[in-house]
Amino acid sequence: MSIKYDVIIVGGGHNALICANVLAKKNKKVLICEARETCGGLLTNDLTNFTPSFSNKVKSEIDNISVDHSSVSTIALSETGHHLKLTGNIYEDKKTLEQLAPEDVDRYFKLQKKLSLFSKTLGSFMHSSPPRILHKSFSDYFKLFKLGLNVRLMGRNSFNEFARMIGLNIADELEDNFKNTLLQGLISHDAITGSNLGPRSPGSLINLLFRMANHDNSLFGGIQQVKGGVNAVMKSLEENVIKRGVEIKTSSSVKRCIIENDQVKGIELDDGTSIHANTVISSADPKSTYLCLLGAEHLDTDFKRRIKHYRAKGRVSKLQLVLSKIPQFTNLESKDLSQRLVISPSIDYIEENFNYSKFENLSPEPILELSVPSVEDELLCHNGNHIMNVQIQYAPFNVKGGWENKKAECINNVLTTLEKYAPEIRSCILEQEFISPNDIEKNFNVSGGHWHHGEIQIDQLFMLRPIPGAAQYKTPVSGLYMCGAGTHPGGGMTGIPGKNAAHEVLKNI
Amino acid sequence: MNIDLTQAALKFTPFHNRTSRACRTNSWYRWSGYTVVAEYSTTELEYTATRNGTSVMDLTPMYKYEIKGERAKEFINYFVTRDLSEMKDNTVAYVIWCNEAGKVVDDGTVFCLNQNEFKICCAVKMQTWLKDSAEGFDLDINDVTDDIAALSVQGPTSCSVLKNYGATNLESLKPFESKDFTIDGYSVLISRTGFTGDLGYELWTNPENAEKMWDSLMESGKHLKIRPMGMHALEMVRIEAGFIQTGTDFVSTEHALRPVRMRSPYEIGMGWLVHLTKKDYFIGKRALKAEKENGTTERVLVGLDIEGDKPAHGAVIYNKKKEDVGIVTAALWSPTLKRNIAIASLMRPYGTKIKDDIFVEIYHPEELEYKKIWATCKVVKRQFYSPERRNMVPAEVY
Repeated sequence: MSIKYDVIIVGGGHNALICANVLAKKNKKVLICEARETCGGLLTNDLTNFTPSFSNKVKSEIDNISVDHSSVSTIALSETGHHLKLTGNIYEDKKTLEQLAPEDVDRYFKLQKKLSLFSKTLGSFMHSSPPRILHKSFSDYFKLFKLGLNVRLMGRNSFNEFARMIGLNIADELEDNFKNTLLQGLISHDAITGSNLGPRSPGSLINLLFRMANHDNSLFGGIQQVKGGVNAVMKSLEENVIKRGVEIKTSSSVKRCIIENDQVKGIELDDGTSIHANTVISSADPKSTYLCLLGAEHLDTDFKRRIKHYRAKGRVSKLQLVLSKIPQFTNLESKDLSQRLVISPSIDYIEENFNYSKFENLSPEPILELSVPSVEDELLCHNGNHIMNVQIQYAPFNVKGGWENKKAECINNVLTTLEKYAPEIRSCILEQEFISPNDIEKNFNVSGGHWHHGEIQIDQLFMLRPIPGAAQYKTPVSGLYMCGAGTHPGGGMTGIPGKNAAHEVLKNI
Repeated sequence: MNIDLTQAALKFTPFHNRTSRACRTNSWYRWSGYTVVAEYSTTELEYTATRNGTSVMDLTPMYKYEIKGERAKEFINYFVTRDLSEMKDNTVAYVIWCNEAGKVVDDGTVFCLNQNEFKICCAVKMQTWLKDSAEGFDLDINDVTDDIAALSVQGPTSCSVLKNYGATNLESLKPFESKDFTIDGYSVLISRTGFTGDLGYELWTNPENAEKMWDSLMESGKHLKIRPMGMHALEMVRIEAGFIQTGTDFVSTEHALRPVRMRSPYEIGMGWLVHLTKKDYFIGKRALKAEKENGTTERVLVGLDIEGDKPAHGAVIYNKKKEDVGIVTAALWSPTLKRNIAIASLMRPYGTKIKDDIFVEIYHPEELEYKKIWATCKVVKRQFYSPERRNMVPAEVY
């Protein structure tokens, strides 16, 4: 049996591509098996509106990505037409806030400064494997010590404030500080987006810090629109790895890993083909990796319990509307539609929405994030028509009644909500496509259909991600690794799990 | 005696009408939610019946689980540490199973009824652990404890008793084999297994046949020194046989409050049941392999032969520097062996490399005063009593 590849990567999402890039730069022969027809995973124009840019640490380890991008502002829509536009630029934001929320200006920048410091501190742990606590190894202890030291070095006051805030809910923090409900609603939105938390759920703040760490440590900065959409980034990543000699097999769904004597020996595709390699990296989510690819018979009971309890039910659905013309939004110019528009007018609005989703129901007035990127980028038109991408927060996985019966109701709720801001929206729609978390699970092979392959919460982060006993990108089976969003530091378009996993693998082969 | 069944906090076994009538002492023992007899007349008589005639014991409270499905055998082999990949129909295997840290959850017996149907019989409630372990195997797992009336029939004349009872050709049944019999029109599963270290059998039948079975057995053994046995006598015979008991000689991982109290198979003398060479993975294999390779086993369970005649219940074990090196988990003055024996958990290397100069401190109560005895002891094989007839095929018939 000849072994052609050093490493096989299961799945072709951005973490897989970045992992492959780092490995290929070290002359490893890599094969990527992607079940879908294209690489990119959840990062496709169908699902993702905006992206942060890769951090310098990731960029420095991969080949150059050639895409054009422009920064995007966030506009919180108000039924009154007094929309709040925040860019991340301190001068512009100050001007806006002085006009719309004069009492909150100073406190906003104070909060931004404080959270920015915390997110930087958190971010400093993201670029290496998290330490193992019970392995008594010096480097792990040193890492843990450094982590503690970094937190302590923020200074006594910041340290106390960090300790106070780390488990805090975002609503308490905002209600204590801000008068403007629209501003409260907007910041809360970014704290709960993609998660299964409400603004009053403990731990919703860490979700915000996590988001900021991947967006230039800023509340509303660091958001980008790439020319050609996120597909262009994926295409560039793909071209880079192919140039490096990485082979990519698309439409090749991996059935299982081949395990002999607790050591991975390769993979078997759905069509029965076996491909051998002594290292396999799964970019699939933890549940799929362990329960489907590896198989329950290779895992201990306690481990299976932990994997089963790993929280990974998606709460975000997506609606794409093909438009006959650009709809008129009250008090917005059509070029503003290419920005990130958020309908999340207050904390209570979000919390009420959250209540519906808690019991797996649909909210009649959903929280929306939308944009018509084709306004600025004709590449994103569909047959010459503009496309509006709408992201619906708290449209839950396994909605009561089943998505096949609830889709129409959900779309109607979205449009009714949109009508308050763009009265003629219904008359502009040519086609519509709805993607529920269950569709994400089915079409993208992500169990639970969760954006981040699992909740970003304190018990599922760092050395606990995805579960204790399987952090550090390793699995209990030797030669099998993970590099997806279900590993440290988590989801979002960061590429850090992929990069870190590649280093962990390089240490061992 | 009229007992209002609806008021009872503990369940009665299907034999209760018979056992309660035979129990002259009204002395009961609480076992897994059931009440069973602790002592029928005197423990010594019941003990003697096991060693010299036949004893009958109500085993119903042992937890029994049924495991059915196409991957049942694969699952059993994954569930236990022993290699059961070659297990044949109508056989029984003594097994232990571990958690991911390689610590023992429980011991018990696996009955292979056919390749797709197994039963596990054990001391600790195992429904949740079994179900969670079977995640991904697509099996049918049911607690059948209440659906089976179980008796243990043990002792030198047990084969003869059962032959009289109607189990034809029973003498040819080998140890750890089982066979279905139809007796008096009802079916009984008889296995050559037991917890006494002697020739003996265990009988399973439907609860509705329980009283009939009890009566026929007592009638069949009338001239073969048959006697019902309670839990106290069982404790005596199992110590002589060197069998370990969950909760006494080790704490199940399901019950241990302190992780350090959990024991690996190597620490409770069950290393022989761990087959690291098994082809497939089994629960705890990685941890057990590491323990074996790194030599991190901390304790050892041994048999002790103690000087004198005072049983060393719960005694602390010392080395000659009077440092605490272990504890006695079960102790007995053995009437058959005429030896003062004990099962003890020692900190290695005591009990493995260092076998001499070990002492126990026995506090022997003598009319409101403790007599402190400093006794020397010898590390010996834990199987103190194992007569040849135990494994003889064909079995002895009188």
